Amino acid sequence: MLTNYIKIAWKVLLRHPFYTFITLFGISLTLTVLMVLTSFLDHIFGSHYPETKRDRSAYIMQVVQRDSASSGRSTGPMSFKFLTNFVKTLKTPERVTICSFVNSSNAYVGSQKIKLNTKFTDADFWRIMDFDFLEGKPYNEQNIANGEYVVVINDDLKKQYFDNSEESVIGKTIDIESINYKIIGVVKGSPVTRPFSYADVYFPYTAPKSNYQQSGMRGGFVSVILAKQKSDIPAIQEEFQSRVSTIPLPGVENGWKYHTVEIKAEPYAENFIGTILDAGPGLKTVFFGILFFVLFMLLGLPAINLVNVNVSRIMERGSEIGIRKAFGAPVRTLVWQFIIENIFITFIGGAIALLLTSIVIYFINSSGWIAYADLTINLSVFLISILVCLIFGFLSGVLPALRMSKLTIAEALKS
Amino acid sequence: MLQHLFKLIWNKKKTHMLLIVEIWASFMVLFGLATLIVVNVGNYREPLGFSYERVWAIGLNTNQDTTELADKVQRIAQRLNAYPEVESVSRMSSNFPFSANQMNNGIEYNKRNVLADHYVTDENFAKTLEMPVVAGKWYRHTDSVGKYWPIVINQKAKEGLFGDENALGKVVGERLKVVGVVDNFKAKGEFMSNKPAYFELVNAKDSWNNTMLIRVKPGTDAVFEAKVVKDIATMVKGWSVEVDYLTDSRKNQHNLVLVPVIIASIISGFLLINVALGLFGVLNLSIAKRRGEIGLRRAIGATGSGIASQFIGEIWVLATFAMLIGLLFAAQFPILNVFDLQAGVYISAILIAIAVIYGIVTICALFPSRQAALIQPAVALHEE
Repeated sequence: MLTNYIKIAWKVLLRHPFYTFITLFGISLTLTVLMVLTSFLDHIFGSHYPETKRDRSAYIMQVVQRDSASSGRSTGPMSFKFLTNFVKTLKTPERVTICSFVNSSNAYVGSQKIKLNTKFTDADFWRIMDFDFLEGKPYNEQNIANGEYVVVINDDLKKQYFDNSEESVIGKTIDIESINYKIIGVVKGSPVTRPFSYADVYFPYTAPKSNYQQSGMRGGFVSVILAKQKSDIPAIQEEFQSRVSTIPLPGVENGWKYHTVEIKAEPYAENFIGTILDAGPGLKTVFFGILFFVLFMLLGLPAINLVNVNVSRIMERGSEIGIRKAFGAPVRTLVWQFIIENIFITFIGGAIALLLTSIVIYFINSSGWIAYADLTINLSVFLISILVCLIFGFLSGVLPALRMSKLTIAEALKS
Repeated sequence: MLQHLFKLIWNKKKTHMLLIVEIWASFMVLFGLATLIVVNVGNYREPLGFSYERVWAIGLNTNQDTTELADKVQRIAQRLNAYPEVESVSRMSSNFPFSANQMNNGIEYNKRNVLADHYVTDENFAKTLEMPVVAGKWYRHTDSVGKYWPIVINQKAKEGLFGDENALGKVVGERLKVVGVVDNFKAKGEFMSNKPAYFELVNAKDSWNNTMLIRVKPGTDAVFEAKVVKDIATMVKGWSVEVDYLTDSRKNQHNLVLVPVIIASIISGFLLINVALGLFGVLNLSIAKRRGEIGLRRAIGATGSGIASQFIGEIWVLATFAMLIGLLFAAQFPILNVFDLQAGVYISAILIAIAVIYGIVTICALFPSRQAALIQPAVALHEE
């Protein structure tokens, strides 16, 4: 019976190639856009190389200081000293790293200039981030304590600075701002979309120009806290907030007096969305308004379209339904047939979407648009979007089918 | 005729409901996209106000060094000036053109308040960026005598503070005296809206505001850049030096604007193609269903083009219905002044959206109605 329905569905699809094309186009395109978008969001917010432990990490990105009238506000990363005192000493986490956000610098090879993104980190950075070491090893506490001029570079910089040479560059030196550093490791690069781990050159925080000696609360450093397990994060946040509440207030920073200090350790996504949400209720409404609008249009428009096309497609088959009814097919069977037909076409559309998505993702990954991009097809998202399409296909198929099946045989046959 | 069409559509409002919703939604999408594009095109057409080719920004960071900073900065500026490859050197705050940094400040004259971008620069700034001074002159260090500190404002700030009055020699706030007016200054690139800005003379003794803008001779490349970086690094131990070409920074600023617009256009484009195809299919089918009606009309003397224009007219009436609903939503934006944009922007966006929608529905209706026009009365009536 089922194969019979599918056969009929296939014939119907072939009979009207144009409507089939419209329906498939709608389904597959919507699914593709949806999947590429989610795969992009997953790339930005999910746990991927090298931040594979992101799901059990909390990030501290900025401190907000406000004056008494709340009219002035100053926001930014923190000093190394402040983080050492307030974060490194926490009891609950498994590990804490302090690193700088992305800084930039230049290196010169002949008449060539290489733009560098640099990062100053401590030794724990390499234990929290799961970098692939292509050559050598990271620096450890000993290197840092000795104040050695060592660096870890990524493979891209190795290629540019050493002219595509295949040999190992461990032990060679690299000249950055007229200081020679010894290379002790080469890692596979992290995409630029992960600002906590991305850099071309990683220095120990004791390297010159890191400004780790800076006193005061503000500076150029951020922190990542790794919890033993995901469920520990609330406990870590609590412990951290109780530490933060011991900061003496009001305080003075660079001659500016502040009365409140806000600093949060949050999971990665909240950390970034939080900056939008903190910006005040006006912006929040606008942000969610736009988000809702875009999602509605993205899903709603093709869905309405699908319903529209399906309604007219099924209405057209009045005579077929009339004949089937005349030969005694019950309403249930007719509706069932249309449902199967719609499921069938949705799956074909899904398969096309899967193909299209992998092409788009392959293109994004290999185009160099984002260096080291590692977008992947997200299977759960794919299944959810297939489900959404099925629901719409179902609704759009069942309603007209029901209406059709309620027609009297004579009327249905007449059309 | 029109009344008749309205009646036709109204009578079948239930079957047309979905089409109306679809056109309404497309209108809203188009309205959003058109607003985005109109805003950016409008900004782009405003001149930038300065030239950025061959200009490099050299950022200095003193790091842990705390001794005689102002002196060292002066020496670096002199050293830069001495290179034969350098045409002009100017010192300014870290918010150099196309940088990610921003500073703004409220300034006041006669109870009129303007929130203006604030730049701290020296006397060579206008020369380095080849910025014409339209009234007065660019300040010099000698202008700082007395209790007033010289500033230059841009046209937008002048309008905001002084309206039609002459701005030169006026004292803004308590200690800033206007000595010159420049035209536009769109520091974040062509896509930035033209905002009020003022330039304040840098205090030679301050130790921050350590960005050097240099204009180099044509043909100067990274070899010279490496030399400059090396020289500065040997002059001041422990400082960081970072060189940005303004052309590169400008590209970054542009991408910040263009990438979202391109993504939005691609997605809306696909949505509209989707809708257009659906519309086409539905129209095709509904016209095929009305063969009898068409045959009858042809038999009593309607011409082919008369039939075609009837169907196009019907879809226009339908689209008008949908867009009237859409207008109820879209009109809220200029009325409530959302996003602080001028009403003109929204109105032109609405007009663009309306034009595109009419275009799409016409194209979609053209083929089916042409087919309807070709129907022979004898054949159609025979089928009946």
